[in-house]
Formats: sequence, structure tokens, C-alpha cells
Amino acid sequence: MAGGANPNMIQAAANPYTQASMAQQGALATYANPAARAQQMMNPYQQNVVNKTLRDVGGAAHIGLNTLDAQAQQAGAFGGSRHGVAMAEAAKGYQQQALDAVGALNQQGYNQAMNDAFRSAQGLQSAGQQAFGYGQAVQNQQMQQGAMQQQMMQNLINAGKGQFMGYAQQPQQALAPFISTIHGTPALQGQNQSFQPGLFNYMQVGAHMMG
Amino acid sequence: MAKGGSESKEATLPAWQEQAYQQGINLAKDVSQTGYVPYTGPEVAAFSPMQEAAFSSTDQMANAFGMQGTGGQQYMPQAETFGGGVQGYSSMPIYQDAVQGLRDVAPGQADYIASFGIDPVTGQVGSRAATQQNYKLEMQPRKRGK
Repeated sequence: MAGGANPNMIQAAANPYTQASMAQQGALATYANPAARAQQMMNPYQQNVVNKTLRDVGGAAHIGLNTLDAQAQQAGAFGGSRHGVAMAEAAKGYQQQALDAVGALNQQGYNQAMNDAFRSAQGLQSAGQQAFGYGQAVQNQQMQQGAMQQQMMQNLINAGKGQFMGYAQQPQQALAPFISTIHGTPALQGQNQSFQPGLFNYMQVGAHMMG
Repeated sequence: MAKGGSESKEATLPAWQEQAYQQGINLAKDVSQTGYVPYTGPEVAAFSPMQEAAFSSTDQMANAFGMQGTGGQQYMPQAETFGGGVQGYSSMPIYQDAVQGLRDVAPGQADYIASFGIDPVTGQVGSRAATQQNYKLEMQPRKRGK
């Protein structure tokens, strides 16, 4: 694929929120002035259908008038008053035919264009909501995954902080079992009794020895 | 009591127990003088890039519909990088600021609090630490001959 475009490469789309907003604005503009939107839709209809019909009627009129001329020539009445009246009547008939056809087509086209305008507005609204939904879905996914990552980081921080607190409280931790051991040991209290003899005691001892 | 002599009685403990009592009390005194040990590391994790992207999307959403966004303003302070590449925030600056604030408005009280423990920089024992407290022995047996 050197030098060529990768067919799998997807171009980044416009921001879905911008798309949604633009679609909404377009729909609102149509609801506010449906005739303007219908007019836009009628232009191609007019070009493709109405103008072709006019050309058809015009062509038919041309053929018909030529036929009238030929018939008048054969009858030796070409250029006469009866030929003129016949030509005028024929032209009037073709004109009326054209007007009728165009009027009917315009009416039909306008109704169709109005319906299409409203349908396109509804379509825009629907597409806009969909785009908004895509944006929300992606954003929510980002928020959820981001929160998971943040929570992991928070867990790491909490673990580190726990280690430090253990370190800082190590003296208290060392003291606690010492104190509880002392508390748990019964006081092995005793009495040390001593006697310091006096003069009378010595005399008693001497009397005993002599006796 | 026999006549002419004197008798004395003293409460006694086994040597190992008396030693344990004294060592335990001394240990408790030393521990009590440690003072407050602040935690200087990170405490709150920073927002992840994915979350920042979501915040930015909210801004874009508001702007797309003509609503007020943040305009790129940052509300949170700049996260710090700690050991191991951890991105987060520490309350240490707030703590230091508050301690300094107390020292500014109530220096006597700040000194008083500090006097119960050691100086965290020099290690010098404060004047009101347990080992520096006054005492007067009034329950000890008098020595003989006095």
C-alpha cells in the first residue's frame, strides 16, 4: 500500500455534538418557514418535470400549428382570416393546455415539496438525536474508563499511604504489645521482712546461753 | 514487734517484672514525645487523561448548542508527579499553610502544642514532653537511720 491510501482508514468525523446542533437548527429553520424549504425542493422538480412538460406542450403546439398552415395552404386559405382565426384558436388551446398541465404539476409538486420538507426536517431531527446519542455514549465510556483508571491510581496511593502510616506508627505498634503483656501479667508482689535486733534482744540471747 | 528491735516490711517484685514495668513506662514516655508525623505523599489521585477528554467533550457539547462552557479554564490545581509516576494531590501544602497560619495568629498556642513533642527538625525534646515533666516522690520508704 506504499504511496496509496489505506482503504481501512476512517477519517475522523465531525464532532457529533456539532452535527446534532446543526441538524437541530436545520429542522427548526424548516419548521419556522416550511415554504422556503419546499421552494428549494421544487427547483429541481420544476426543472425536471414542469419544464419538460412545457417543452412537450410547446412541441405539440408547434406541430399542430404547422399542420394548420399546411391544411390552409392546401385549401388555398393560407393567410386568410379563417386561417388566422384557426391559428389563434389553436394557439389559445395549446396555451390553455400548457397552463392546465403546469398548474396541476405545480400544485402536485408543491404539495409533494411541503411533505418532503417536513419529512426532511424530521429526518434531520432524528439524525441529530442519533449523533447526540453517539457523542453521549462515547463520552460516558470515556468517563467510566477514566474513573476506573483514576480509582486504580487512588488504590495505589492508598496502599503507599498505608505503608507510610505503618512506618510512622511503628513506635506505638512496638509499645502496644509491651504494655498489654505487662497488663496481662499478674503482679507477683511479695513482702520482704527484716528485723533489726536491739539491746534487749541481745540480753535475752545472753541469758539463754548462760541458763 | 519484739522489744528493743525494729521490724520493717517492703513490697517487692521479681526483678524481671520490675524491669519490664520501668522499661514499658520509659518506652511510653519516648513514644509520646514523637509528636505529629505528617504524611507528605499523595493522597488523592489526579483525573486520568480519559476523564479529562470527557470533560472536554462536555465543553464541546455546550459550545455546540450555544451554551456556556469552561473556556478551557482549569478548576483543579496542577497535579503533582510522585514516586513511581503517580499523578495526584497532597494535602501537605494545605497543612503547612494552616500550621503557619496558626503560628502567625497564635504563636503562643503553636509553641505550646509543639512543646509536647520533639522538634521535628532537630529532634530536641520539647519542654512539656513526658520525660521533661516535674515529679516529686512522696510515697517512697524512708531510708533507715534518717
